[in-house]
Amino acid sequence: MNIDITDVTRQFGRTRAVAGVSLRTGPGVFGLLGPNGAGKTTLLRMMATVISPSSGSMRLLDRDTGSHAARREIRRRLGYLPQSLGYYPGFTVAEFVEYFALLKEMPSKQVPGAVATAIERVELGGKAHAKLRTLSGGMLRRVGIAQAIVNEPELLLLDEPTAGLDPEQRVAFRSLLRELGARATVVVSTHLVEDVGAACSEVALMAAGKLVFHGTPEELTARGVGHAVGDAPLERGYSAVLAAARS
Amino acid sequence: MTDAHSQQECPPDVDLGRVWIGVAGEVWRRRPGWLERSAAALLRSPGLARALLTTPSLLVPWLLASIAVLGSGAAVTLGTGQPVVSLLAPAVAAAGIGYAYGPGIDPAWELSASMAISDRMVLLVRALVVFATYALLGLAASAASGIAAALTFGWLIPMTLVSALALAAATVARSANVGVAAGLGGWAIMVLSWRAADGQFTAAVTYTAPRATVYLVLAACCGVTVLCAPRVRKGAS
Repeated sequence: MNIDITDVTRQFGRTRAVAGVSLRTGPGVFGLLGPNGAGKTTLLRMMATVISPSSGSMRLLDRDTGSHAARREIRRRLGYLPQSLGYYPGFTVAEFVEYFALLKEMPSKQVPGAVATAIERVELGGKAHAKLRTLSGGMLRRVGIAQAIVNEPELLLLDEPTAGLDPEQRVAFRSLLRELGARATVVVSTHLVEDVGAACSEVALMAAGKLVFHGTPEELTARGVGHAVGDAPLERGYSAVLAAARS
Repeated sequence: MTDAHSQQECPPDVDLGRVWIGVAGEVWRRRPGWLERSAAALLRSPGLARALLTTPSLLVPWLLASIAVLGSGAAVTLGTGQPVVSLLAPAVAAAGIGYAYGPGIDPAWELSASMAISDRMVLLVRALVVFATYALLGLAASAASGIAAALTFGWLIPMTLVSALALAAATVARSANVGVAAGLGGWAIMVLSWRAADGQFTAAVTYTAPRATVYLVLAACCGVTVLCAPRVRKGAS
């Protein structure tokens, strides 16, 4: 199991952002759905080892995130796209991706090829030498995805990856997700139910810090049979599970 | 690149995509200068070397860190000059540098915090760069000003050495915490040995001048801020 989380909580002062989440999953594309404030980003940040859980146990890539040495090894094999991508405006696309490849401790000789591959995969080859401050929001999102996949991660965590992408880019991105999910565990946190339907083999739904559903997109769709809210079958399943959780 | 003509010309066993990636990698690769190559060899990490050389590009944090460092230095030099001030000066500068590069200021902090090279190691590297640069500027200014010379030789050069010691210890031990402990220990030994030389070893805890009190309050505020401020912002959803 690449992700093995048991009863994890995360508290910020009096607010419990994540409340007793347990999750186990292996390779494939995993969709994390939920409304604003559900705890998706906090859960993803814990998996990215940016913050630690307040309680519970978290094993990623068969290592316990509590140990410093294990955390370092996990981070070498991890890709992470935060919800809001911070960047250095004076860096070029290639410099930015290279910088994070080096911080991931990739062997120096592999870096140029890995950087070129990542940039080509997000179709930014024509902008490799463009300064980040000159790029559109959608292009910056793709730069973020490039730095996340530059080390061919075994665990890839993407927070709202399709925000700012146009429909054509979103279709291309879903295809990239499926490709990456063939050998790695890819966790995609999103509000866009159609992304999950198109790319994910497994889906979980969070509400008020808890996991209220875990199954396949087909199982989520089945929950929506007879439910009125939502335009598409998967949306109706999403709404039905949320309504049940709230009641 | 993949048009009909090139497909016809290309032997079947040649992967054009792979060839293109090889070419693009060579064209787009950045050639590190001698300074970065030397730093990579010394620090045993090309990533840390890159973090060291990119520090000045982070202009606003750089300025904030500089204000913290020079402000602390001025307090040491123009204040009482007693060891109680000198002992706490590194903490004030360290807090300044820490906050200049921390969450909310360094734009890519969230990403950096998920990287294999620890953000504390990157911070140690940046602290060394801040002190070393201002030590060099201070040396140049020393030719014209006595105050600049006092600031440079009494504060900036020793702090550069302490930062270098901290980074060296952290590199050898592969632990930023070991580096911080070495740096603080080195500074304490340096200050206390100055006091021991003029027979005022206990002055660090017995001296109470008004200006020292102001400085102590400032240092205490820095300490409280570091302890109480959340290290990371709350999750957005």
